[in-house]
Amino acid sequence: MPNKEKLEISRIKEVESTNLARDEIRDEVIETKKAVERDNNLIADKIHQDFLNNSIKSFDIVGAIGAGKTALLEKIVEILTQKYRVLVICGDITTRVDADRIEKHNAETIQINTGRECALNAYHIHQIIKNKNLQNYDVIFIENVGNLICPSEFVLGTDKRITVVSITEGEWVIEKHPMLFKMSDIAVINKIDLKERLGTNVEKMINDAKKFNPEIEVITTSAKTGENMDKLLELLGF
Amino acid sequence: MKQELTKIEEVIVKPEEIKESNIQELMDTFFSKLKNRVDNYIGDYPTFIEPVYLEDNVKIGDDVLLGPNVYIGANSEISDYVEISNTIIFDNVKIGENFKLENCIVAKDSSFNFTELNVKKSVLMGVANLKNELQKIGF
Ligand SMILES: Nc1nc2c(ncn2[C@@H]2O[C@H](COP(=O)(O)OP(=O)(O)O)[C@@H](O)[C@H]2O)c(=O)[nH]1
Ligand SMILES: [Mg+2]
Repeated sequence: MPNKEKLEISRIKEVESTNLARDEIRDEVIETKKAVERDNNLIADKIHQDFLNNSIKSFDIVGAIGAGKTALLEKIVEILTQKYRVLVICGDITTRVDADRIEKHNAETIQINTGRECALNAYHIHQIIKNKNLQNYDVIFIENVGNLICPSEFVLGTDKRITVVSITEGEWVIEKHPMLFKMSDIAVINKIDLKERLGTNVEKMINDAKKFNPEIEVITTSAKTGENMDKLLELLGF
Repeated sequence: MKQELTKIEEVIVKPEEIKESNIQELMDTFFSKLKNRVDNYIGDYPTFIEPVYLEDNVKIGDDVLLGPNVYIGANSEISDYVEISNTIIFDNVKIGENFKLENCIVAKDSSFNFTELNVKKSVLMGVANLKNELQKIGF
């Protein structure tokens, strides 16, 4: 395949739209997309096996920018680091802000800046753990890039996926993102301390999550007041 | 950090000794001390997995993945679709399009003006306009 065509295919793959492909390269684009997803799943499986072999509990956290992913992690890590060796991998398009926040609570952190990419993928995680002796960790958290759309396609090889939304995003936020909740094990509805002030219909949010995924565990939290942190830790198996 | 870099540079100027040297050990020590510095490059938004240390005036193309454990010397240029991890690149180097380097060292003033290369555990040096002109020593 000529180089120019290859580049064109990878560009189209990047914008995630098969419709943009000219007829002549449409098949190739579709095949490439499928292969990419397959590869991600293969790598994720291997990562998960590595985690299991080293008795590591692992979680990835997805959610919109500002939902409170980092704030929750700060609370969780503060408690867990008293007993466990914790590694937190933070994804953001740029900066080390979140990793710095979490590092204050005694966890080792690694920042990934994805630049133009809107989600972490299994290869990023693979690249990090290839340099690590996994025997040095008990728990690994991965905070994904803030975004409710892109991360749904890419599993990262963790035990459980936690999706965090906050009631400030409006009571329709779960209803509008079925894919992500179908792929999550735990839905956290955060900033519950603001419920009175905002009058958000939290029950609707809980029902929406359960409707998309009857297996999902739903919990309301406040990273500000610490409400239900103990319950969240229990859901994580601590 | 500079101390290890100097040692590594001393080793790679004598290509016949690279294989028997403790170069991997030197690299590992260097990486264990490597800091993150990625706010000073020229170009598109690459993906960085820390630690990545960029000296001044590094140019980076589209769709590039750097890290973990990458050091890039001053005035070096990384072309599009490149992926580099656990690698030291010295000053004034040009890395061609679609290169994948893992656990490599690239000597200063090297220039690779061709596309597609996938190498591990090697020292790369010199000027190469074609793949078969590449000077490469495994370790
Ligand atoms: N009132 C309130 N604010 C919160 C809560 N959780 C996070 N925040 C605030 O929301 C903002 C975004 O939080 P952050 O953890 O950075 O969100 P992330 O982008 O999902 O990681 C910060 O100013 C937090 O202090 C919460 O439970 N209640
Ligand atoms: Mg965050």
